[in-house]
Amino acid sequence: MNAPLPKSLWRMFQRSRVGRSIFRVGLPESNLERSQAMVSSFLLHIQPAKVNKHSLKPGYTLGLGLISLYLFFILIGTGTLLMFYYVPSTERAYDTMKDLQFVVSAGLLLRNMHRWSAHLMVLFVMLHLCRVFYTGAYKPPREFNWVIGVVLFLLTLGLSFTGYLLPWDQLAFWAITVGTSIAGYAPIIGPKVKYLLLGGNIVGQEALTRFYALHVIVLPAVAGLMLSVHLWRVRKDGGLSRPGEAEDTVERIPLEALPQNKSYGLMELARGTTPQVGKNPEDEVFSWPHLVFREMILFLIVAAVVLFLAIFWNAPLEQFANPIHPPNPAKAPWYFLGLQELVSYSAFWGGVVVPGLLVTALMLLPYFDRKRVGVGEWFARERWAAISVFTVCLVAAIIFTIIGTLFRGPNWGWVEPWKTEQPPALEEH
Amino acid sequence: MAPRDEDEYSRRGFFQLALGWLAGAFAIAASAAGAVRFLMPNVLFEPSQAFKAGKAEDYPDASVTFLEEERVFIVRQGNTFRCVSAVCTHLGCTVNRAEGGYHCPCHGSIFDDQGTVKSGPAPRGLDWFEISVGKDGRLLVDKDIRVAADKYLVLSAKA
Repeated sequence: MNAPLPKSLWRMFQRSRVGRSIFRVGLPESNLERSQAMVSSFLLHIQPAKVNKHSLKPGYTLGLGLISLYLFFILIGTGTLLMFYYVPSTERAYDTMKDLQFVVSAGLLLRNMHRWSAHLMVLFVMLHLCRVFYTGAYKPPREFNWVIGVVLFLLTLGLSFTGYLLPWDQLAFWAITVGTSIAGYAPIIGPKVKYLLLGGNIVGQEALTRFYALHVIVLPAVAGLMLSVHLWRVRKDGGLSRPGEAEDTVERIPLEALPQNKSYGLMELARGTTPQVGKNPEDEVFSWPHLVFREMILFLIVAAVVLFLAIFWNAPLEQFANPIHPPNPAKAPWYFLGLQELVSYSAFWGGVVVPGLLVTALMLLPYFDRKRVGVGEWFARERWAAISVFTVCLVAAIIFTIIGTLFRGPNWGWVEPWKTEQPPALEEH
Repeated sequence: MAPRDEDEYSRRGFFQLALGWLAGAFAIAASAAGAVRFLMPNVLFEPSQAFKAGKAEDYPDASVTFLEEERVFIVRQGNTFRCVSAVCTHLGCTVNRAEGGYHCPCHGSIFDDQGTVKSGPAPRGLDWFEISVGKDGRLLVDKDIRVAADKYLVLSAKA
């Protein structure tokens, strides 16, 4: 009994018939086993056995995509638990929120975690999008994965929007009223879409039922599927982008050009018959432990931050939905306040045209800006034009969000946040 | 498998292929249309848009009365009545009565006494609804019928 007890017990289990049937490869001790551990595990096999050193640099990816993924996991876990108490009824939804806050064990904590993860996920998906742009990682051959990423960003916004309606408090009711009215401004199909979303002409039970179904099954299922494709394509498109990769790539000989009466192995089918240039052994390290351990540590950090926020700051719950009086000012969550500020100039231009054009431009970006320069490095000087345009749009979005958040008061009038004096309250009817 | 050169399609092959694609496209389109139609409710359990607004005498002269449940204002000036919607034409918030008109708290639209837009993002003025006198002598409002913003209900002087 020289080895510490837990370790030897674990080893004993691993080497037993049952242990071998589950894990195949135990904790790896040789390089062969390190590869085998990645390939033979369901949870690990979507990642390569070896990973480029550049992909592990925290300063390159900042871990933003992985953090978004972890937040999505936390949201699914906490959301599933919340579903055991929540009732999507206009009469009972608000009461079940109060129950979660005051009666259910850990209900408050779970709701807080769900809310904080949701806000963080919106933030980190946005940051991830910016990272991929500023490092030129959307350029060929990764164009389509960028498009999927934009779709995932929209799904994230859709999930958060459908989510904050569910408590059926004042924020919920007036957000659904304003949100579906914006949809009604879309040309031709707008009124139909609004009717479809609400399940009628008024914001009521039918609308809540629909947004509930969207929030707990439709959008998460679509997002989960797109997420799988997104991650799978990261590998199929050659792993994370890195500098010099464009010069490294050797045109693979298309299989069609090779003799057709020969059978080809899976590796040749998947990767062509040229050697993998840029995959020099000295550039790569084993995913186990270098990648896997970093990922685990990052998950611990994300979970710790979410827990910390959830313990010290409660998710707000406004008053019970009042279909007669909107709160004044009626403000959306921070990530929609830029849009709300735009909408306050014109619902059609600010709510339909500008967001529609921005999303279209984002999706088409990799098909126009496809020169493979500056891939894999932050703010490459050769990409000054694309970077300038993107940065101008980004700064504009941030400015509108700041205005909507801090500089708008009652009746969406201009207020200066450093002046504590409140404008006189409006007379009631 | 025989090499498939585009020139080698026979007439029969073309029609077979076209029929297959058409049938597939039709099946998908029909399913999608059916699903969308399914999501469009045929029967709505919503409150009636027509309601009784009480007697004309209930409204003092030169008054603007907010009927909460119905989200409308009943405006009386002498013998004339009108029913102005309290739903902002911008994005559906409830407007507040303010000096000289109506203010929307959500995005800052301002309407004058007639409901015409003075400033803000509202695309058109507040709706006016049909207001009439029912058989029992009470005011009757139908929010399904919009009227031009100059169609007052004029009662005979005795009211």
